[in-house]
Amino acid sequence: MNAAQFLTIFISAVFVHNVILSRFLGLCSFVAISKETKPALAMSMAVMFVITMSSIITWFIYRFLLVPFGLTYLRTISFILVIATFVQFVEMVVRKTSPALYRLFGIYLPLITVNCAVLGVAVLNVDMFFLDNKAVPGSFYYSLFQGICVGLGYGLAMLLMSGIRERLELCNIPKAMKDFPLAFISASIMSLSFFGFNGFRF
Amino acid sequence: MKDRLIVSISPHLHKEESISKIMWMVVLSLIPSGAAGVFIFGLSALWVILLGIITALITEAALQLLTKGKISIMDGSAFLTGLLLAYNLPPKAPFWLPIVGSFFAIAIGKQIFGGLGQNIFNPALVGRVFLMASWPKHMTTFIAPQNYDAVTSATPLAMLKEGKLLEKLSYLDLFLGKRGGCIGEVCILALLLGALFLLLKGYISWHIPVTYIVTTGVFAYIFGLKGLFTGDWLFHILTGGLILGAFFMATDYVTSPLTRKGQIIFGIGCGLITAIIRLWGGYPEGASYAILMMNAATPIIDRFTRNRIYGTR
Amino acid sequence: MKKYFQEFVRGIIKENPTFVLVLGLCPTLAVSTSVRNGIGMGVAATFVLLGSNIIVSLIRNIVPDKIRIPCFIVIIATFVTIAEMMMKAYSPVLDRALGIYVPLIVVNCMVLGRAEAYASKQTVIKSFFDGLGMGVGFTLALILISGIREFLGAGTLLGHSLIKGFHPVFLLGMPPGALLVIGLLLGFFNLLKNRKA
Repeated sequence: MNAAQFLTIFISAVFVHNVILSRFLGLCSFVAISKETKPALAMSMAVMFVITMSSIITWFIYRFLLVPFGLTYLRTISFILVIATFVQFVEMVVRKTSPALYRLFGIYLPLITVNCAVLGVAVLNVDMFFLDNKAVPGSFYYSLFQGICVGLGYGLAMLLMSGIRERLELCNIPKAMKDFPLAFISASIMSLSFFGFNGFRF
Repeated sequence: MKDRLIVSISPHLHKEESISKIMWMVVLSLIPSGAAGVFIFGLSALWVILLGIITALITEAALQLLTKGKISIMDGSAFLTGLLLAYNLPPKAPFWLPIVGSFFAIAIGKQIFGGLGQNIFNPALVGRVFLMASWPKHMTTFIAPQNYDAVTSATPLAMLKEGKLLEKLSYLDLFLGKRGGCIGEVCILALLLGALFLLLKGYISWHIPVTYIVTTGVFAYIFGLKGLFTGDWLFHILTGGLILGAFFMATDYVTSPLTRKGQIIFGIGCGLITAIIRLWGGYPEGASYAILMMNAATPIIDRFTRNRIYGTR
Repeated sequence: MKKYFQEFVRGIIKENPTFVLVLGLCPTLAVSTSVRNGIGMGVAATFVLLGSNIIVSLIRNIVPDKIRIPCFIVIIATFVTIAEMMMKAYSPVLDRALGIYVPLIVVNCMVLGRAEAYASKQTVIKSFFDGLGMGVGFTLALILISGIREFLGAGTLLGHSLIKGFHPVFLLGMPPGALLVIGLLLGFFNLLKNRKA
């Protein structure tokens, strides 16, 4: 566990293997909500929060429940249940305690349950930081940090994309390419430019 | 005076400057470095340039015919895209490389977005990174300069990445283009001549190029070698596509921010990303990726650096 | 019988999950690097769709409305786990190639979408044909995309090389290539639709 490894996780999660542009997780929400900057930012905040928290929770479940009892084949089902419950719980808490916060990003919370990015990161963490069902040293911190970075990558892609699409609204685009097709092509070029960080070694 | 010549979306000020005149002026300013490239690498470089330009013009015309738009290949923008793309190719590229690249640059980089003035990304760079990702072998096979007694065919940055020593190259060699590299990027002297012309005529402002180059230099100086503040900043400025990118591609009106503040942010961003890729990335050169990434960020930069309208918040 | 056939065909063309409904894109883009992976993903997703559609339709009158979504998710996750284990047992190579995208079928909006929008309201047989149609439509779309990407990106189809002297466009085998292909295909289908209208 050292700083270089964390930096590698950061560059990998934010740029090279960006959740949206390279792993294609959370793509549905990406094309659906990136039309304007404000909702895109709110959604990103919600996703960042949920991904970070669910990385922590699923790590504990995997490490202290599934591995000791030999139940690792229940990974998918237990993770999705926990994430769904957690998101539901957060939504209720936010709605009851802070109407302002709820208006800001609460409405996106139910959507996040079926956002593949959240489950994807949980599964990835387990795949990367558990070897033969044993946690590698520092795996908790790696999982937590990867959760945060993936959230950042999601936010970055969302932010850039929403800016681009706001500008494309004003353009005289060929009719067949409007909306989804051009959004995908812009995303493709963005993904291509993120390739510049390929093979990053500190 | 200079400020009035900056073109923004929907130009409200009337001047005798037109878009096509500016485009042809940029083309003119790029001729010295192209000539230097042909002189250094031989006639094959000229074919690459011509193929790039011709394909760009044909693609533009064909797509405008297909979409029943006005055919505007004489406005110089497609010419410039083809030229810039060819400048970013190795001099002995196989004949289909500039053709495919130019086609991709115009079709995907520009026309799909609705044509001139509406593209988000610099078309020539879109073409280049597409070629780079698709045929890395052909894109990085360089030849040694012919008219100098050449030292090596690999680019200095690639040698640096492999940890080879660079003692044989003096700064003067680099300045005059005595090194392997892409056609239009090697002769710094010719590029600076063209850039000076554009700056003096006011076609580009200094904000993006200067911040871009200075940031890359400073970053390379601080982190370039093992000890802090010992890096070879001049080497990093004189090699790779930095000068070509900073003066001729990062300053593209359509894909860079409109405000001064935005342009400075843009330049610094480009410089940081370029230096980071050069020092720690997998590729020897990062200028094209850096500019494309900042192109993607341009709408957001514009949004947050918009000039405040008097009396509003 | 004709009625059921319509349910089946609808998912293939008129409501193709990928090109018309634009659902379930994550696996579509991620695994479509080769036709073999595409078919593997398509079959796995079809299996999950069929299973979940049938069970959801069977229990549609028993489940209280409020907790139906969690119930659906559990049902889907069960089938996904079965698919995952079968794949691990019978085709470990494919399992490695598809990686995390097999467990991620759980959150594929297409599966949950069909359960919620269709199977929870219709009879078992209809839901079966709906699931089959959607699954086949999804698989066909995957074959189309992965066919283009494998042919141009690697110069092969199902692992056989076809043209000599062709320099494959590596980019199409990489993530940006997937986004590019889907963008162009969606644009192309829009063009066809506009022509017809």
